[in-house]
Amino acid sequence: MTEHTITIAGRDDTVTAAADQTMLDAMLRAGVWMPNSCNQGTCGTCKLKVLCGEVDHRDSPLSTLTDQDRADGYTLTCQAVATSDVTVEAADGGTDAVHHPLIDFTAIVTRVDDVAQDTRIVYLRPDREFEFSAGQSVSLHVPGAPGERRQYSIASLPTDPEIELHIRREAGGVASDQWANGTIRVGESVELSGPLGDFVYDPSDTDGGLLLLGGGTGIAPLKGIARAALADNPEREVIVYHGVRTCAYLYDQQFWADLAAAHPNFTFRPAVSREHHEGCMGYVSDRLLEDLSTCRGMTGYLCGSDRFVDGVAAAAKRRRLAPRRTFRERFTPARTRDLVAG
Amino acid sequence: MTMQIPTLEWTREVTMEQLERNPYPTYERLRKEAPLAHLPILGAAVATSLETCRAVGASPDFGGIITPAGGRTFGHPAVIGVNGEVHADLRSMVDPALQPSEVDRWIEDLVRPIARSYLEKFEDDGAAELVSQYFEPVSVRALGDSMGLQSISSDKLREWFHALSVSFTNAGVDENGEFLDHTRFEIGDRAKAEIRAAVDPLLDKWTTDPEDVWISHWLHDGMPEGQTRDRDYIYPTIYVFLLGAMQEPGHGMASTMVGLFTDQEQLDAVVDEPGLIPQAIAEGMRWTSPIWSASARVALTDTEVSGFHIPKDTVIIQSYGSANHDEAGWDAPSTYDLRRKPLPHLAFGFGNHACAGIYFANQVCRIGLEELFESIPNLERDTDSDVEFWGWGFRGPKELHVTWEV
Repeated sequence: MTEHTITIAGRDDTVTAAADQTMLDAMLRAGVWMPNSCNQGTCGTCKLKVLCGEVDHRDSPLSTLTDQDRADGYTLTCQAVATSDVTVEAADGGTDAVHHPLIDFTAIVTRVDDVAQDTRIVYLRPDREFEFSAGQSVSLHVPGAPGERRQYSIASLPTDPEIELHIRREAGGVASDQWANGTIRVGESVELSGPLGDFVYDPSDTDGGLLLLGGGTGIAPLKGIARAALADNPEREVIVYHGVRTCAYLYDQQFWADLAAAHPNFTFRPAVSREHHEGCMGYVSDRLLEDLSTCRGMTGYLCGSDRFVDGVAAAAKRRRLAPRRTFRERFTPARTRDLVAG
Repeated sequence: MTMQIPTLEWTREVTMEQLERNPYPTYERLRKEAPLAHLPILGAAVATSLETCRAVGASPDFGGIITPAGGRTFGHPAVIGVNGEVHADLRSMVDPALQPSEVDRWIEDLVRPIARSYLEKFEDDGAAELVSQYFEPVSVRALGDSMGLQSISSDKLREWFHALSVSFTNAGVDENGEFLDHTRFEIGDRAKAEIRAAVDPLLDKWTTDPEDVWISHWLHDGMPEGQTRDRDYIYPTIYVFLLGAMQEPGHGMASTMVGLFTDQEQLDAVVDEPGLIPQAIAEGMRWTSPIWSASARVALTDTEVSGFHIPKDTVIIQSYGSANHDEAGWDAPSTYDLRRKPLPHLAFGFGNHACAGIYFANQVCRIGLEELFESIPNLERDTDSDVEFWGWGFRGPKELHVTWEV
């Protein structure tokens, strides 16, 4: 099979890509960090300029990689393959957090817990050492659905024996419903690739407090980030909001209560938008505006649906959370293949 | 068949005050009726469309010339008004420090602390007038420190560029070509006397003890050992910097900010994604070009532009602020829209007199806005006061009042 080289301009990095391997995959496997998030062509994070050489954009959607982008030489590295040796522009530095090479591995399902309405926590034991940073995600090859992959945030830390995924059931979903709420069995093997994503805890960012805002199972990566930050500095101010519709969707309450008991400057605040729950009714955005007079000097991690992330980002901005210290992770609905443009 | 440059009858009524308050309606009509025309109040021809500005700028038959009021203000030889060897020498004097690779070496360390220092003065006040409290001070301090004027206060530098601007743009003439208003030149003359009193001692010092600041380099670079450039030779260019270069990033940032305030969605996008700031600045510079109409060309020979016959010695004022609103270049040009296709605008001029400080200015603006949004991401325009733009030669908002929740 023909291989091509991908050279990153201005650096010494050159990686080799197989003919059917996406450029992003080739770079991440070689340990060359590139910004990336959804890995399905919808977020645009991995867009890069090709300085010379030819690429095939394959399934890149026109909404993410416009005709103008294509004319200007841009490509979505998570979709495109090199069809000749290429040189790409170096991406901006991103965070200084450690970047781990992308690997494929197998893991065994060790436990499945029903923790809340439509919400399961699945624990997976990898068959080899798997390095990642708190907050990153893995891509799961959905068992029983060849070719289908889904990306999940990791709620655990690399030091844990198991990878912890929070899965919210979407009726009819091949992964969340048919597999995670259907055929899944303890002892079953699943194929994974990871780590992915640049929503990561940055251990070099030690100033000021952390503001962790999660909507629904968007709390998952924040669990890892909170634990990593408090392990580095048990005294650090960490404020977590967990937004859900009704109390039936709250989970991990004991975990957060234990964290609060052990750390003097840690606060956990559930926010239930559609019913009363111990005086914490309301959206996270409203609760935040009510509770916090300023977010100046804090670093924010926001994870959930587009609507959740946009809403809490606007509230945090009103409280002067600095844009450069605001990190967002959005749930990207699984891409419908018939939207693909040529 | 070529046409003579016309004088349109209605333009005889146009006043300087009208142009300085709002030049757009006059220039829009000129672009439609005669994109190259004599404008009696200026005693010169004006190129007002994208096409005519580009044609004049690119033609080898034109040289740079300083506008008459500009020449009266700066004296000779100012880098913007000379050609040939003197121009080449002056550019070789100012250009090295302004090369992108050189600017990249120190711009962050220079501008960020300056921006922070001004923000610290008001960031917890909940209200500010950004032009005088932030945009202009950041602009003059960044340039002043680079030039070697650390000892001159920001307020004094701002006062100087305002005074030089009033004098430089005192373009109004009567039918005999005599200036209508001499008081504006006197304001400039007083500022120049102050500048010389402050800068002469620095030149004395740098003559014997060179420092790594721009004006010291201007004295020494390229000169034989033991010799320096004559100070009368470099003063006009010092004035060019103290006016154009001092005001430009300040007005560029201020106009960009006003543009962003016209559309909350664009403002939110830029605050959330600082990577959009350079695009926002480029659109701000197009939308209200800070150096709106301060650059001129002179025909070195009989020639032709866009079908017009141009006799030798004809002075054409390049109306870049008007060209940047040409419907032939942009849809709805008076709307601020940072998502436009980034077609090159003419805010930094064109041809071999194109602005030497384009990269420096854009970097100052970028860092200034990055620090502002970082510190106050929840900026709102204070809608109790209107934003009033002023200027024909140099244009920007006079004041920009903002509020935010502390």
